[in-house]
Amino acid sequence: MTGPFATAIIVVALLLCGWAVVLVIANRAPDKALLGASAVLEAMLVVFLIGGIVQMAGSDQEFARAEFVGYLLACAAVIPVAAWWVRDEKSRAAAGVLAVVFLVLPVLVIRVQQVWAGPVA
Amino acid sequence: MPDTSPSDDSSVAPRSTGRGFGRVLVTVYGIFALAATARSAVQIATKFAEAPVAYLLSAVAAVIYIVATVALARGDRTSRKVATVAITIELVGVLAVGLLSLLIPADFPSASVWSGFGSGYGFIPLILPFVGLWWLRRTR
Repeated sequence: MTGPFATAIIVVALLLCGWAVVLVIANRAPDKALLGASAVLEAMLVVFLIGGIVQMAGSDQEFARAEFVGYLLACAAVIPVAAWWVRDEKSRAAAGVLAVVFLVLPVLVIRVQQVWAGPVA
Repeated sequence: MPDTSPSDDSSVAPRSTGRGFGRVLVTVYGIFALAATARSAVQIATKFAEAPVAYLLSAVAAVIYIVATVALARGDRTSRKVATVAITIELVGVLAVGLLSLLIPADFPSASVWSGFGSGYGFIPLILPFVGLWWLRRTR
Protein backbone atom coordinates (compact mmCIF):
# COMPACT_ATOMS: atom_id res chain seq x y z
CA MET A 1 0.00 0.00 0.00
CA THR A 2 3.00 2.25 -0.20
CA GLY A 3 4.80 2.57 -3.46
CA PRO A 4 4.63 4.85 -6.44
CA PHE A 5 0.87 4.88 -6.89
CA ALA A 6 0.17 6.30 -3.41
CA THR A 7 2.98 8.81 -3.95
CA ALA A 8 1.44 9.80 -7.28
CA ILE A 9 -1.91 10.43 -5.56
CA ILE A 10 -0.22 12.65 -2.96
CA VAL A 11 1.67 14.62 -5.62
CA VAL A 12 -1.43 15.13 -7.78
CA ALA A 13 -3.51 16.17 -4.75
CA LEU A 14 -0.89 18.74 -3.69
CA LEU A 15 -0.63 20.10 -7.24
CA LEU A 16 -4.42 20.47 -7.43
CA CYS A 17 -4.39 22.10 -3.99
CA GLY A 18 -1.91 24.67 -5.28
CA TRP A 19 -4.06 25.21 -8.37
CA ALA A 20 -7.17 25.74 -6.21
CA VAL A 21 -5.31 28.21 -3.98
CA VAL A 22 -4.28 30.18 -7.08
CA LEU A 23 -7.96 30.37 -8.09
CA VAL A 24 -8.91 31.58 -4.59
CA ILE A 25 -6.28 34.31 -4.76
CA ALA A 26 -7.43 35.25 -8.27
CA ASN A 27 -11.00 35.42 -6.91
CA ARG A 28 -12.27 32.82 -9.37
CA ALA A 29 -14.53 29.80 -9.08
CA PRO A 30 -13.09 26.40 -10.11
CA ASP A 31 -12.84 26.15 -13.90
CA LYS A 32 -13.63 23.12 -16.05
CA ALA A 33 -9.97 22.14 -16.22
CA LEU A 34 -9.68 21.87 -12.43
CA LEU A 35 -12.92 19.91 -12.25
CA GLY A 36 -11.61 17.54 -14.93
CA ALA A 37 -8.34 17.09 -13.06
CA SER A 38 -10.33 16.45 -9.88
CA ALA A 39 -12.23 13.69 -11.68
CA VAL A 40 -8.93 12.10 -12.71
CA LEU A 41 -7.72 12.20 -9.09
CA GLU A 42 -11.01 10.69 -7.95
CA ALA A 43 -10.55 7.84 -10.46
CA MET A 44 -7.09 7.23 -8.98
CA LEU A 45 -8.61 7.12 -5.49
CA VAL A 46 -11.23 4.58 -6.55
CA VAL A 47 -8.43 2.40 -7.96
CA PHE A 48 -6.56 2.94 -4.66
CA LEU A 49 -9.65 1.77 -2.73
CA ILE A 50 -10.16 -1.35 -4.84
CA GLY A 51 -6.45 -2.16 -4.96
CA GLY A 52 -6.16 -1.70 -1.20
CA ILE A 53 -9.03 -4.07 -0.47
CA VAL A 54 -7.64 -6.66 -2.91
CA GLN A 55 -4.20 -6.45 -1.27
CA MET A 56 -5.74 -6.66 2.18
CA ALA A 57 -7.68 -9.78 1.22
CA GLY A 58 -4.47 -11.43 0.03
CA SER A 59 -2.45 -10.53 3.13
CA ASP A 60 -1.86 -12.51 6.32
CA GLN A 61 -0.39 -9.48 8.07
CA GLU A 62 -1.73 -8.26 11.38
CA PHE A 63 -3.07 -4.74 11.07
CA ALA A 64 -6.21 -2.75 11.87
CA ARG A 65 -8.31 -3.85 8.89
CA ALA A 66 -11.47 -1.89 9.69
CA GLU A 67 -9.48 1.34 10.09
CA PHE A 68 -7.64 0.59 6.87
CA VAL A 69 -10.86 0.23 4.89
CA GLY A 70 -12.31 3.27 6.67
CA TYR A 71 -9.43 5.49 5.57
CA LEU A 72 -9.61 4.09 2.02
CA LEU A 73 -13.35 4.84 1.89
CA ALA A 74 -12.72 8.36 3.24
CA CYS A 75 -10.12 8.91 0.50
CA ALA A 76 -12.62 7.95 -2.18
CA ALA A 77 -15.53 9.88 -0.61
CA VAL A 78 -14.14 13.36 0.07
CA ILE A 79 -14.01 14.69 -3.51
CA PRO A 80 -17.58 13.63 -4.43
CA VAL A 81 -18.96 15.03 -1.15
CA ALA A 82 -17.06 18.31 -1.63
CA ALA A 83 -18.26 18.57 -5.23
CA TRP A 84 -21.84 18.09 -4.04
CA TRP A 85 -21.38 20.71 -1.31
CA VAL A 86 -20.17 23.42 -3.73
CA ARG A 87 -22.48 22.53 -6.62
CA ASP A 88 -24.34 25.89 -6.35
CA GLU A 89 -21.41 27.99 -5.17
CA LYS A 90 -20.21 30.24 -8.00
CA SER A 91 -17.63 32.18 -6.00
CA ARG A 92 -14.02 31.49 -5.12
CA ALA A 93 -15.29 29.77 -1.97
CA ALA A 94 -15.84 26.68 -4.15
CA ALA A 95 -12.13 26.71 -5.00
CA GLY A 96 -11.39 27.18 -1.29
CA VAL A 97 -13.37 24.06 -0.41
CA LEU A 98 -11.48 22.06 -3.05
CA ALA A 99 -8.16 23.40 -1.73
CA VAL A 100 -9.03 22.13 1.77
CA VAL A 101 -10.02 18.72 0.45
CA PHE A 102 -6.87 18.38 -1.70
CA LEU A 103 -4.78 19.25 1.36
CA VAL A 104 -6.53 16.65 3.52
CA LEU A 105 -6.16 13.84 0.95
CA PRO A 106 -2.38 13.40 1.37
CA VAL A 107 -2.94 13.08 5.14
CA LEU A 108 -5.55 10.38 4.54
CA VAL A 109 -3.26 8.52 2.12
CA ILE A 110 -0.41 8.64 4.62
CA ARG A 111 -2.75 7.29 7.31
CA VAL A 112 -3.71 4.43 4.96
CA GLN A 113 -0.01 3.60 4.64
CA GLN A 114 0.61 3.86 8.40
CA VAL A 115 -2.31 1.58 9.24
CA TRP A 116 -1.13 -0.92 6.59
CA ALA A 117 2.37 -0.92 8.02
CA GLY A 118 1.51 -0.78 11.70
CA PRO A 119 0.64 -3.48 14.20
CA VAL A 120 -2.86 -3.77 15.62
CA ALA A 121 -3.34 -0.98 18.14
CA MET B 1 -18.12 7.00 5.57
CA PRO B 2 -21.09 8.82 7.02
CA ASP B 3 -22.15 11.90 5.15
CA THR B 4 -22.18 14.68 7.72
CA SER B 5 -23.67 17.26 5.42
CA PRO B 6 -27.33 18.09 5.88
CA SER B 7 -30.05 16.85 3.61
CA ASP B 8 -30.63 19.76 1.35
CA ASP B 9 -34.00 20.71 -0.08
CA SER B 10 -35.05 24.19 -1.10
CA SER B 11 -36.73 25.00 2.23
CA VAL B 12 -33.45 24.65 4.14
CA ALA B 13 -31.12 25.97 1.44
CA PRO B 14 -27.88 27.30 2.92
CA ARG B 15 -28.12 30.93 3.85
CA SER B 16 -25.53 33.28 5.21
CA THR B 17 -23.48 30.97 7.44
CA GLY B 18 -23.25 28.27 4.77
CA ARG B 19 -22.29 30.57 1.90
CA GLY B 20 -19.09 32.14 0.69
CA PHE B 21 -16.37 31.66 3.28
CA GLY B 22 -18.94 29.60 5.19
CA ARG B 23 -18.58 26.89 2.54
CA VAL B 24 -14.95 26.49 3.49
CA LEU B 25 -15.69 26.67 7.22
CA VAL B 26 -18.39 24.00 6.95
CA THR B 27 -15.96 21.83 4.96
CA VAL B 28 -13.36 22.04 7.72
CA TYR B 29 -16.02 21.35 10.37
CA GLY B 30 -17.25 18.39 8.32
CA ILE B 31 -13.75 16.94 8.12
CA PHE B 32 -13.38 17.22 11.89
CA ALA B 33 -16.83 15.71 12.40
CA LEU B 34 -15.75 12.74 10.30
CA ALA B 35 -12.33 12.43 11.93
CA ALA B 36 -13.62 12.75 15.49
CA THR B 37 -16.52 10.36 14.89
CA ALA B 38 -14.33 7.70 13.32
CA ARG B 39 -11.65 8.05 15.96
CA SER B 40 -14.02 7.87 18.90
CA ALA B 41 -15.89 4.92 17.34
CA VAL B 42 -12.61 2.99 17.06
CA GLN B 43 -11.59 3.95 20.61
CA ILE B 44 -14.89 2.95 22.16
CA ALA B 45 -15.11 -0.26 20.14
CA THR B 46 -11.56 -1.48 20.77
CA LYS B 47 -10.16 -0.06 24.02
CA PHE B 48 -12.87 1.72 25.96
CA ALA B 49 -11.70 0.37 29.35
CA GLU B 50 -8.25 1.98 28.99
CA ALA B 51 -9.48 5.55 29.44
CA PRO B 52 -13.27 5.70 29.61
CA VAL B 53 -13.54 9.38 30.53
CA ALA B 54 -11.22 10.50 27.77
CA TYR B 55 -12.97 8.30 25.21
CA LEU B 56 -16.38 9.60 26.24
CA LEU B 57 -15.04 13.14 25.81
CA SER B 58 -13.90 12.05 22.35
CA ALA B 59 -17.44 10.99 21.56
CA VAL B 60 -18.81 14.29 22.92
CA ALA B 61 -16.35 16.16 20.67
CA ALA B 62 -17.55 14.14 17.70
CA VAL B 63 -21.20 14.99 18.40
CA ILE B 64 -20.37 18.68 18.85
CA TYR B 65 -18.56 18.78 15.50
CA ILE B 66 -21.47 17.05 13.76
CA VAL B 67 -24.00 19.49 15.26
CA ALA B 68 -21.83 22.52 14.40
CA THR B 69 -21.31 21.29 10.83
CA VAL B 70 -25.00 20.77 10.15
CA ALA B 71 -26.09 23.97 11.91
CA LEU B 72 -23.54 26.15 10.08
CA ALA B 73 -24.48 24.54 6.77
CA ARG B 74 -28.20 25.23 7.28
CA GLY B 75 -27.77 28.77 8.58
CA ASP B 76 -31.42 29.53 9.38
CA ARG B 77 -32.35 31.37 12.56
CA THR B 78 -32.63 28.30 14.79
CA SER B 79 -29.50 26.78 13.30
CA ARG B 80 -27.53 29.91 14.13
CA LYS B 81 -28.47 29.55 17.78
CA VAL B 82 -27.64 25.85 17.74
CA ALA B 83 -24.32 26.60 16.06
CA THR B 84 -23.49 29.29 18.62
CA VAL B 85 -24.15 26.92 21.51
CA ALA B 86 -22.29 24.03 19.90
CA ILE B 87 -19.24 26.12 19.02
CA THR B 88 -19.16 27.68 22.50
CA ILE B 89 -19.13 24.17 24.01
CA GLU B 90 -16.42 23.29 21.49
CA LEU B 91 -14.32 26.25 22.65
CA VAL B 92 -14.73 25.36 26.33
CA GLY B 93 -14.06 21.71 25.50
CA VAL B 94 -10.84 22.25 23.60
CA LEU B 95 -9.52 24.58 26.30
CA ALA B 96 -10.53 22.28 29.18
CA VAL B 97 -9.38 19.02 27.58
CA GLY B 98 -6.22 20.71 26.32
CA LEU B 99 -5.39 21.88 29.82
CA LEU B 100 -6.33 18.58 31.52
CA SER B 101 -4.32 16.56 29.01
CA LEU B 102 -1.26 18.56 30.02
CA LEU B 103 -1.94 18.44 33.78
CA ILE B 104 -2.93 14.77 34.04
CA PRO B 105 -1.51 13.18 30.87
CA ALA B 106 -1.99 9.65 32.27
CA ASP B 107 -5.74 9.95 31.78
CA PHE B 108 -5.37 11.27 28.22
CA PRO B 109 -3.13 8.89 26.23
CA SER B 110 -3.35 11.01 23.06
CA ALA B 111 -7.01 10.24 23.29
CA SER B 112 -9.01 12.87 21.48
CA VAL B 113 -8.95 15.61 18.88
CA TRP B 114 -8.86 18.09 21.77
CA SER B 115 -5.84 16.62 23.64
CA GLY B 116 -2.93 19.05 23.85
CA PHE B 117 -5.22 21.77 22.44
CA GLY B 118 -5.50 19.77 19.21
CA SER B 119 -1.75 19.46 18.71
CA GLY B 120 -2.25 16.17 16.82
CA TYR B 121 -4.32 18.07 14.25
CA GLY B 122 -2.12 21.09 13.69
CA PHE B 123 -3.90 23.02 16.48
CA ILE B 124 -6.79 23.55 14.09
CA PRO B 125 -9.23 22.36 16.82
CA LEU B 126 -8.06 25.32 18.91
CA ILE B 127 -8.42 27.89 16.13
CA LEU B 128 -11.68 26.56 14.68
CA PRO B 129 -14.12 27.66 17.42
CA PHE B 130 -12.75 31.22 17.32
CA VAL B 131 -13.22 31.32 13.56
CA GLY B 132 -16.68 29.79 13.93
CA LEU B 133 -17.84 32.37 16.48
CA TRP B 134 -16.31 35.18 14.42
CA TRP B 135 -18.16 33.95 11.34
CA LEU B 136 -21.49 33.74 13.21
CA ARG B 137 -21.00 37.35 14.36
CA ARG B 138 -19.88 38.51 10.94
CA THR B 139 -22.91 37.05 9.15
CA ARG B 140 -25.47 38.22 11.70
